[in-house]
Amino acid sequence: MFLTDLLSPKTVAYAHCDLPCGVYDPEQARIEAESCYKIIEKYHASNDDHFKARAIVIKEKQAELAKHHIDVLWSDYFKPEHVQKYPEITELCWKAAKQCSKVKGSLEIGEARTLLDMIDKIADVWTKAGGPTATRIPKAVAARA
Amino acid sequence: MEPALRDGDWVIVAPLWRPPRPGEIVLARDPRVPERLLLKRVARVEDGSCTLLGDRPEESTDSRTFGPVALSDVVGRAIFRYAPLARARLL
Repeated sequence: MFLTDLLSPKTVAYAHCDLPCGVYDPEQARIEAESCYKIIEKYHASNDDHFKARAIVIKEKQAELAKHHIDVLWSDYFKPEHVQKYPEITELCWKAAKQCSKVKGSLEIGEARTLLDMIDKIADVWTKAGGPTATRIPKAVAARA
Repeated sequence: MEPALRDGDWVIVAPLWRPPRPGEIVLARDPRVPERLLLKRVARVEDGSCTLLGDRPEESTDSRTFGPVALSDVVGRAIFRYAPLARARLL
């Protein structure tokens, strides 16, 4: 047995509870919601049953991802001090997550539009709460333009 | 808990013989998942409970999320880092 084996700790403790990448952006949810929107459009424009079946499967997956990203924003990014300052965020996230479930089960383009609008409202609060500078790495100037 | 503690640090934790004091790093059971042990810094001690905060508020999940931690869930105090050797010191 090596000395390091003897000295090595037997118990692991966590000094951070989440993977602390600290990158949070409602855009992640929005892109998934945009996918749902476009897939619903393509579904209605198609006469191909196979394509339509695939469109439904993919849309359900993207809606689930949108919901996941909203959950992460809500549970990991927004802190009690944000909620104190912007109390509407609780309901916005809650309703948007529910809207994801609606989009998942629906082929109404209006439901997908509603979800986009809800995510934009969350993004407004995220921006007001300093999200862009607190959580994102600035892009190169050419990419921003 | 960076920069005080880094991922993979080896730390000696002493059992508590007195209530923790603000500024000390303690080993505590996560109130949400009791079998999970956390290392956090004590911010405040009240009657029977304490507020634990990470050193990096923007990235830490701590009492701001899970609330105060009962003193009975505070298992010990981190007193010494013994590895890596270059950073070995009292905490």
